[in-house]
Amino acid sequence: MKQNKTMVVAFLAPAVIFFCLIFIYPIIRTIAMSLFSVENVTSPIRDWTFTGVKNYITLAQTSLFWQSMWNIFRIWAAGGIVVMALALLFAVILNSGIRFKRFFRAVMYAPNIVSAVALATMWLQYVFANRWGMLTNFFSWVGLEELAATQWTASGNKFWAMTFAYCFGMVGYHMLIFSSGIEKIPQEYYEASAIDGAGRVAQFRRITFPMLKGVIKTNITMWTITSVGFFIWSQLFSTVTTDLDTITPMVYMYLQVFSAGNAVTAREAGLGAAVGVTLGLCVVLVFVVTNLLIHNDELEY
Amino acid sequence: MKKLISLLLMVALLISTAGIVSAEGKTVVYWTMWESTEPQGKVLKQAAEAYEASSGNKVDLQFKGRTGMREGLQPALDAGTTIDVFDEDLDRVNNTWRAYTRDLEELAAAANYEETSNAGLMAAAREAAGGTLKSIPYQPFVFAFFYNAAIFEECGIAEVPATWDELLAACELIKAKGYVPITSDDAYIITNFGYHLARLIGEEGVRRVVDNGEWAEEPAVLTAAKAYEDLAKKGYLSPTIGSAVWPSNQNGELAFGEAAIYLNGSWLPNEVKDMTGPDFRWGCFSYPSVENGINGVEASNFGAQVLAINKDSAVAQETFDLIQVITKGEFDALLSKESIGIPADSSNTEWPPMLSAVKNVMDSLATRFSWAAGIENNVNMTPYIKQAFQQLCGGQITAVQFVETLETASK
Repeated sequence: MKQNKTMVVAFLAPAVIFFCLIFIYPIIRTIAMSLFSVENVTSPIRDWTFTGVKNYITLAQTSLFWQSMWNIFRIWAAGGIVVMALALLFAVILNSGIRFKRFFRAVMYAPNIVSAVALATMWLQYVFANRWGMLTNFFSWVGLEELAATQWTASGNKFWAMTFAYCFGMVGYHMLIFSSGIEKIPQEYYEASAIDGAGRVAQFRRITFPMLKGVIKTNITMWTITSVGFFIWSQLFSTVTTDLDTITPMVYMYLQVFSAGNAVTAREAGLGAAVGVTLGLCVVLVFVVTNLLIHNDELEY
Repeated sequence: MKKLISLLLMVALLISTAGIVSAEGKTVVYWTMWESTEPQGKVLKQAAEAYEASSGNKVDLQFKGRTGMREGLQPALDAGTTIDVFDEDLDRVNNTWRAYTRDLEELAAAANYEETSNAGLMAAAREAAGGTLKSIPYQPFVFAFFYNAAIFEECGIAEVPATWDELLAACELIKAKGYVPITSDDAYIITNFGYHLARLIGEEGVRRVVDNGEWAEEPAVLTAAKAYEDLAKKGYLSPTIGSAVWPSNQNGELAFGEAAIYLNGSWLPNEVKDMTGPDFRWGCFSYPSVENGINGVEASNFGAQVLAINKDSAVAQETFDLIQVITKGEFDALLSKESIGIPADSSNTEWPPMLSAVKNVMDSLATRFSWAAGIENNVNMTPYIKQAFQQLCGGQITAVQFVETLETASK
């Protein structure tokens, strides 16, 4: 068939133009902005002052930024291990032929369709509340008064309380991705291995896990992207003024770009852009390392 | 033929559109920080409708919410979006967005606006804008200690504490009756420290400490920290003050009558009215003076939301007329009633009963602090101050450790 180049260009142009405007231009502008002192994200370029890598040096010298990076690393690493492990476990159980599979899958996914605001309020006002919280009542009921008296949202505890609440809602999402991966594995493999005497654990180790490498990679990438964007839960666990337990790089960036809660503080969009570039590099780094460590092109099915 | 019909239809459309414009008059685009479901949003809608009915102009009222304004206003203005009037906090409008606002001196003078306005707030608006009037205040507020008057009465506290010693004496009486004397939540807790430090060294001193990291160098920091260490040791602070995530203590122990005092803005009665019910009796007193302090109960943070007109607005006079409808007479009174807020119009002398005790405090203020007396001025330090102060109030660290922690964090 003869190619009509004009038509190809005409059909591709809108998509390419929009892609450049919506993705490429903001990325380039953000990288450029991170090398300047800029008060506001929409400040005209004539008002930008070139400062080179000063914003990155400032970040490197700011202990609060490092605290935010430490928090996000802990959410990503500790939370990630728990979420991935539980998600994989539930996905395997759901695909092991249990009854009411669709019901359980829907229940586990349910937190994802509830607003994060509602979920965080539930955790704060119902589960972690000191007066009538579920944990307080439960530990009182079983006679563990010391645990019942624990202030779950006190400094030191609040980070883990927030991370636990966040992870609770994320398990279902990643379980669904794992589950779709497991469903693609041909049943013949399991049948053949069962005839050869393999049990559930051996089937998981020898068949399911190796064949889920691609899905694991996808899940790690998705988890990294959502972790880097950790913001709403942090805001809800420390309304108005952020604190050391809840601050994440996104919150730090917000403070720099849009000023603090009630106080009118100086804005520095250039510094905020440097935070954004740093986070982008972190995602790329995780993606590269994941690709180096996990090879999923050895198996074809 | 088709082309002719298309042309005729287009002409008809243009004529009809022009007809609508001339029939409906001018349009004032108003971006507000309130949500449509809030009492303030509902009253603003009514005020806009009243203005439309009386003027023949149209008001395009857009409810943006707090974050919507903080994140979206300036980009929208930079992009040339038509916004004739916007509102937000007095300091934010006059500092952050001052370049986008129109000078209102002439419009205000022509309307004799200040005949019935709050002189203190107008002065604050001028001061924040560098000496000229660039915004009109409404929804005034004051930051002070709010208390449960029934508990004070039961404890035999006849006079509100004006000095730190009087506050300690009141706390002892309250504690003896089995109540929690002072409570707070994480959103407001460090304002306590800000006010105490500001009593000792003024707001400029607080900003110097916070911005320059003079936590160990400034002896008043340790003095203020010791005052709260003392409160914690004596059991005058809520056992959950170090962990309460807003609004758990204001909606809990304060609203349910188990705690007596909370340092907050005059919006507090409105926020907790569903928990307290209409019979809750509120009292109010300015943060007490402290020994060797350089200011006293006459200094506090008071302010307002303000309305500012876009410098590029083509309908400035119409917009100012709308502002007058909102901030004067009937709708100012309605706003005060519905939001349990302070009226901006000085001729609206009737304050909501829940705020009657605030009037004395408001009238007694002569020095204006900015938010939290400057203690939240450094975004890189606020989380450290918050955590250390929560730990100090929770009895987990001493005043000396508090100072050391912040000195280390600031370096």
